[in-house]
Amino acid sequence: MGLRCTVYGTRPEPPPRKPYTVHRTPLSPMLSDFTRVIELFQLPFMQRALMGGILTGLMGGLLGSFTILRQLSFFSDALGHSALLGISLGLLLGMSPSSVLLPFAVLFALGVTYLLERTRLWTDALLNIVYSSSLAIGVILLTFVGQYKGGINSILFGDILAVRQGDLIVSTVLLVVCVVFVGLTLRSQILLTLHEPLAIASGIAASAHRTAFIVLLALVVGASIKAIGVLLISAFVVIPACAARLLSRTFTGYVMLSAVLGALGAVLGMVFSAMLNLPSGPAIVTMQLAIFLVAIVVPRTRLTAV
Amino acid sequence: MSAEVLVVEGLTVYRDAYVAVQDVSFSLEVGTDTAIVGPNGAGKSTLIQAILGILPRQSGDVFWLGHSLSRRGALNARVRQQIAYLPQNFLFDRRIPITVNELVALGWDDLGPKLPWANQKQRRLAVRQALERVDALHLGSQPISRLSGGETKRALLAYCLVRPRRLLILDEASAGLDVRGESDFYQLIYQLKQEQGWAILQISHDLDMVRKHCDRVLCLNRLLRCQGTPDYALSPDNLVSVYGSEFVRYRHQH
Repeated sequence: MGLRCTVYGTRPEPPPRKPYTVHRTPLSPMLSDFTRVIELFQLPFMQRALMGGILTGLMGGLLGSFTILRQLSFFSDALGHSALLGISLGLLLGMSPSSVLLPFAVLFALGVTYLLERTRLWTDALLNIVYSSSLAIGVILLTFVGQYKGGINSILFGDILAVRQGDLIVSTVLLVVCVVFVGLTLRSQILLTLHEPLAIASGIAASAHRTAFIVLLALVVGASIKAIGVLLISAFVVIPACAARLLSRTFTGYVMLSAVLGALGAVLGMVFSAMLNLPSGPAIVTMQLAIFLVAIVVPRTRLTAV
Repeated sequence: MSAEVLVVEGLTVYRDAYVAVQDVSFSLEVGTDTAIVGPNGAGKSTLIQAILGILPRQSGDVFWLGHSLSRRGALNARVRQQIAYLPQNFLFDRRIPITVNELVALGWDDLGPKLPWANQKQRRLAVRQALERVDALHLGSQPISRLSGGETKRALLAYCLVRPRRLLILDEASAGLDVRGESDFYQLIYQLKQEQGWAILQISHDLDMVRKHCDRVLCLNRLLRCQGTPDYALSPDNLVSVYGSEFVRYRHQH
């Protein structure tokens, strides 16, 4: 994880230059950082990481806008944490994490939904049981696997720099599915979010919609785990949506802004990570936090007058 | 077509293990105003939610405009559109960002899959006209979180009005309004009822209002205790059977 890669000799045109360390002179630290970032983003793995971040940011923001209003934020968190169980199960069975994660996330989400509907316990308490126990079992299973090449750190915090072409294709397809689904059913989704009995009385099949949304959310979380890690994935769902909520008046504007802020957070985070040589997942979440804090301050000065 | 907007036959609804509504039959005719009265916990809201398909029913049949409501709550979409429903204490989460225009527009759409920008012009026009009729055009771009109780009710009426309906179902629609707000609200409702030719089915605790406006009363206390004109259904004897003798003595003293 992180960006501790050696960049020497990887640039395409080689004008004779001093090594990077020399660029970090006190005279022009900003400029040297900037050129360094530009150079880094010419590397294919950085471009893939950036693409992956943007795709995850868009999907997380889009579905996140509904997730937080339907009070499913903690559900996405539990889904993320439990992915560790999926990964270790996959490793134990000798399968690659990527191929296990999507089906595991969907099955897990449906199972948890069933459990929530069956028992009369508080949602947050039940989700706590689900995610802490799946973390525990996941870690125990990992001890039987032996050495996982990525290490537990990359499972917990993700490794966005290891995003491959295939991951990008999966994410792109998923983003298209999300946009089409939310776009075509936008009014039903709004009504369901606003008042479920009213939605049913208007003829919306509420439980089918609920299941479809949860499956989609599980797929997005499952597809993004590898890059973002099980601990931080829910930030992609929750933080941009909350920032967008603070800045929006209309529902449609809110949904779109949430997706845009998700992507913006990813871009800023990748640049931040490249500049300061920081692990990329945490860098993106930090930038999302920065956007959220700006959103808290902005409406008081500007939007309240509108 | 028959003159009945709604026919309910032998409806029984369970909530968990107990019977909330038992063997209830009644029908609503076009353009009439029917009130459901009864004490708290009598199953009034349960009855309404079951006939709308929001709650599952144990047994019985429900016909809307001659179309049967399926066991799983499915109903012909065209029939659905002719029914407007205002739930009890429409307490939506005020943190949800949505403007009055957007809320009212939700009542206009039929809810099949479609592009978000389809029929934009007609939708805007319908929303405008509906808001005009409830005297709330100025509220259109307001977020719902900023509305007062009375303004919220008017916005919701616009949601009902935005498309022609045959029947309006109100579950204690005036709850949360003060005396003045309530009287304004009912004045608006009855004015619109005249204009639109709505039939109304409402749950009410205000027996004086029911006496004044309604054509028929259903007295519910799990079972349908009596039904008929307000004079008959709200006679002291019938009230005793629905509310118990304590309540009736109380009402006579005040």
